[in-house]
Amino acid sequence: MELSNIEKLLEKYFEGETTLSEEKELKVYFTGENVASHLERYKDLFQFFSNEVHVGTSSEVVLSNPKKSWYTMTGIAASVAIVAGLFFANIPDKPGGKEVATVTDTYEDPELALQKTREVLHLVAQLMNEGKKDLVYLNEFTTAKRDLVYLNEFENAKNKLIK
Amino acid sequence: MKERVFIKLTNGFKDKLYRLAKRLLVSNEEAEDATQEILLKLWKNKKKISEYKNVEAFAMTMTKNYCYDKLKAKETGNLKIVHSNYKDEHPSLHRQVEAKDSLEWVGRIMDGLPDQQRMIIQLRDIEQYDNAEIAKMLEMNETAVRVALSRGRKIIREELLKKHNYGVV
Repeated sequence: MELSNIEKLLEKYFEGETTLSEEKELKVYFTGENVASHLERYKDLFQFFSNEVHVGTSSEVVLSNPKKSWYTMTGIAASVAIVAGLFFANIPDKPGGKEVATVTDTYEDPELALQKTREVLHLVAQLMNEGKKDLVYLNEFTTAKRDLVYLNEFENAKNKLIK
Repeated sequence: MKERVFIKLTNGFKDKLYRLAKRLLVSNEEAEDATQEILLKLWKNKKKISEYKNVEAFAMTMTKNYCYDKLKAKETGNLKIVHSNYKDEHPSLHRQVEAKDSLEWVGRIMDGLPDQQRMIIQLRDIEQYDNAEIAKMLEMNETAVRVALSRGRKIIREELLKKHNYGVV
């Protein structure tokens, strides 16, 4: 390209009036070998511009979907809660069962335990007997039923009358 | 939208986001964070992606706003932007120490520009967007973009001239 043309383009360039394609021409000229000596100072500028395009980020994009992770976290928390719940909920049950067992095991000495058990059973029996006493009145039913036998007499008299 | 599709879509302009963020924030790490943040935001709003006419331009605008917020937070937090990573960003340039120095000089000039001019030059001269696209990305009008572009380029020219005349680096 003609030198005068380049100079003109350069002037336009600094006025901000070059088009992108004209700027490309300038870039090509200044990154080439044959740059006029009085324009040499602009070489660095265009060299810099064309170098800078190759600067890039090295890191990869890490896309953590916050919504997804929130759900996952909730899921994990919920399952932990359920497992923990099952685990701990069972614990009160077991000691509960043990407590019943320990009530019978209150006495270390079997003799004493036997004695106490007898006492308790005796008490229960006593109470039962007391309750049974009231049931004596049930005998009245039997006697009353015996009296009903006389009804048969009615029956006999009736039969005679029919005859 | 599936993750794979999203990554494929954003890979097309991920590096552009990174470069813009790096141009504004200077630090590599912060630019990486910014890129990650923007892509995550996009991913969270992936249902709306189809509504945007131009996801790339939208992502660029998001990046600009994100970086502005970061810069503002830094100003108020009275923290200085530390750019210790200047040395190792162009491994390919190690071949020619001299060339590397002078290109670095251009980078330094560019990073000395006001934020807006810096972004516009980045988007125009490096990413090769046209002025209409830049205007949309930066929420400006096209004339303002052209003026800022010209102003920024002229500042760079002056600095280059200074360096050329005095050989000061």
